[in-house]
Amino acid sequence: MSSVLCPDISNSGFSFDNCARNAALEGKGFPVPKATKTGTTIAGIIYEDGVILGADTRATEDTTVSDKNCSKIHYLASNMYCCGAGTAADTEMTTNMIASQLELHRLFTNRTVPVCTANQLLKQYLFRYQGYIGAALVLGGVDNTGPHLFSIYPHGSTDKLPYTTMGSGSLAAMAVFESRWKPGLTEEEGKKLVRDAIAAGIFNDLGSGSNVDLCVIRKGTVEYLRTYEEANKKGKRQSSYRYPPGTTAILSTKTANIEVHDVSVQRIDTDLLMDTTS
Amino acid sequence: MESTTIEKIVEVDKHIGCAVSGLMADSRTMIDRARVECQNHWFVYNESMSVESCAQATIAIQFGDSDDDGAAMSRPFGVAILFAGIDEKGPQLYHMDPSGTFVEFDAKAIGSGSEGAQQSLQEMYHRSMTLSEATTAALTILKQVMEEKLNSSNVEVMTMTPTNFFHMFTKEQVEEALKLVAIQEQSKGDLRSIVSTAEVMSIK
Amino acid sequence: MASVANPSFPDYSTQAPTQHMFSPYADNGGSVVAIAGDDFVIIGADTRLSAGFSIYTREQNKLFRLSDNTVLGCAGCWCDTLTLTRILKARMQMYEQEHNKTMSTTAAAQMLSTMLYYKRFFPYYISNILVGLDNEGKGCVYSYDPIGHCERASYRAGGSAGALLQPLLDNQIGLKNMQNVTNKTVTLDRALAVVKDVFISAAERDIYTGDKIMIIIITKNGIKEDSFDLRKD
Repeated sequence: MSSVLCPDISNSGFSFDNCARNAALEGKGFPVPKATKTGTTIAGIIYEDGVILGADTRATEDTTVSDKNCSKIHYLASNMYCCGAGTAADTEMTTNMIASQLELHRLFTNRTVPVCTANQLLKQYLFRYQGYIGAALVLGGVDNTGPHLFSIYPHGSTDKLPYTTMGSGSLAAMAVFESRWKPGLTEEEGKKLVRDAIAAGIFNDLGSGSNVDLCVIRKGTVEYLRTYEEANKKGKRQSSYRYPPGTTAILSTKTANIEVHDVSVQRIDTDLLMDTTS
Repeated sequence: MESTTIEKIVEVDKHIGCAVSGLMADSRTMIDRARVECQNHWFVYNESMSVESCAQATIAIQFGDSDDDGAAMSRPFGVAILFAGIDEKGPQLYHMDPSGTFVEFDAKAIGSGSEGAQQSLQEMYHRSMTLSEATTAALTILKQVMEEKLNSSNVEVMTMTPTNFFHMFTKEQVEEALKLVAIQEQSKGDLRSIVSTAEVMSIK
Repeated sequence: MASVANPSFPDYSTQAPTQHMFSPYADNGGSVVAIAGDDFVIIGADTRLSAGFSIYTREQNKLFRLSDNTVLGCAGCWCDTLTLTRILKARMQMYEQEHNKTMSTTAAAQMLSTMLYYKRFFPYYISNILVGLDNEGKGCVYSYDPIGHCERASYRAGGSAGALLQPLLDNQIGLKNMQNVTNKTVTLDRALAVVKDVFISAAERDIYTGDKIMIIIITKNGIKEDSFDLRKD
């Protein structure tokens, strides 16, 4: 009962009106579905000739591994790639969408798209959704002005850095970069450094695991090294788990006979086919 | 006096029985304690308590050392107890005196007629006795040391066997056992009369 | 506005109920698997101790020898495990001194149950699996919930990968859901192989299981220990 003298005090901030309804639904067995979060280690550095991106390949759902070898380095343009951490669907869709916008932009301008353009598109898109699109990205590429590396946070803030890491394993990976990165690394040194950073995430962060993927972007060329290193070998089984035939119970069998009424073979003269080679 | 109201042999657990002599009120406290200890042991460890542990736990109240109320002894319990039971070591007989000392025995008599009874036990007992021999021997000795005439209402008989564990003789079984005693005595032809009241006696 | 309606409340405060939370538990992960045979029992636990996304140590033994033929495996809240096993050790020693004998596996199993239930409303957050040889020399496995429900089984998986591994054991050791299988009892070699393989699989999919497993085998000849490496990511 509100009145001028005794007004209802409304709760400040976000409205939780639907919480009771959601809890009731959950009680009836309709829980809110969980999104696949990729507890991840992704990293990137600038070296003397370009950019090297790296990522682990584990995808998790809560505490179980849902994909043992997923790909976290996404294509944006022929001179740009982007590592994604966070909600799997968000990183995938965001990078795809921006990739198509970048391609349209390239066709429209007929130029190699600058990396900062991709950065701008991504941050504006993410900011619009106020962090609800859970994509944490490491964007790397080489354009006419040289190599560039950005890290982009889900809320839309970005950093332009010579070396960066993201995801749950970012601290482990950054520890490696902080101790060993220096300007003007050779490609070999750079690959070794990024591998070590990702490996640090793989072994010390439970959200990261399996293999190391690398992507080396130079001026004009890209080397996508999917499974650069298999950091973890699966253990060897002690015994065989093959079942002999007849192990599975057959609950019922039904036979349906197919009657062949007529058989005819029609030969096709290859010379008469339409020529589609030219 | 209604003699059936005096109960000197009691069940502590399925596998442990007690015979008491002395201050009956004190004995009740101790028997209660023994029962609680046995039940607690079963509850915590899912196994039956050994006879020795039961005796040990029972004297513990004398000194109040196992309770949280602290040591509260004002006087010792005026009871002697025989613990008869079967555990993983086989049949066991323990005697505990009011000082709390407990000692294992093959055969033991306690109470006012115990001196004479123990003397007789010394002669009669041997390790390869059968159950019925032991029953007859116990009653014979009891008969010798008791003032009253033995009958089915002034004597209690309990057996502890690996198959039946604690078993208290029914009135009929006591009469049956007494008959056997009489028959045996007739055949031996010597009827001695020893004046004293035997409280309790037990043969392992 | 609030001060108009209720002068005793400051502006930023509302009359809505305030919820206070107290969560004194940690989940430190880890898995335990045990298989019993006719004359042996085998128990294995991984050695990874973790919290959230970080690893505390890669070599934490989670198997506790309670006596010469009883071993307890613990997974869950590590601080609770430390406390419980210390009390257990004390209780084992007290029993030994009070009763002049070593506690049997069955007695230890029942005692653990009562110790857990004693803390019914502030439980030890541990998934316990107790193994040993029973009074007939047969292998036995007891599994518990955190508040003392105790169940004797012939094989059991517990801890963070427990739900992942139990169906596998049901099939491979319990020979469930199979036709034309002779119900033969499990041998020590087979049990050992299954324990290792089962942990290999757990390390693949459970982030809290990995690094290494410690295995304890109990037979009438005593306790033997073994270990086996798992993946470390």
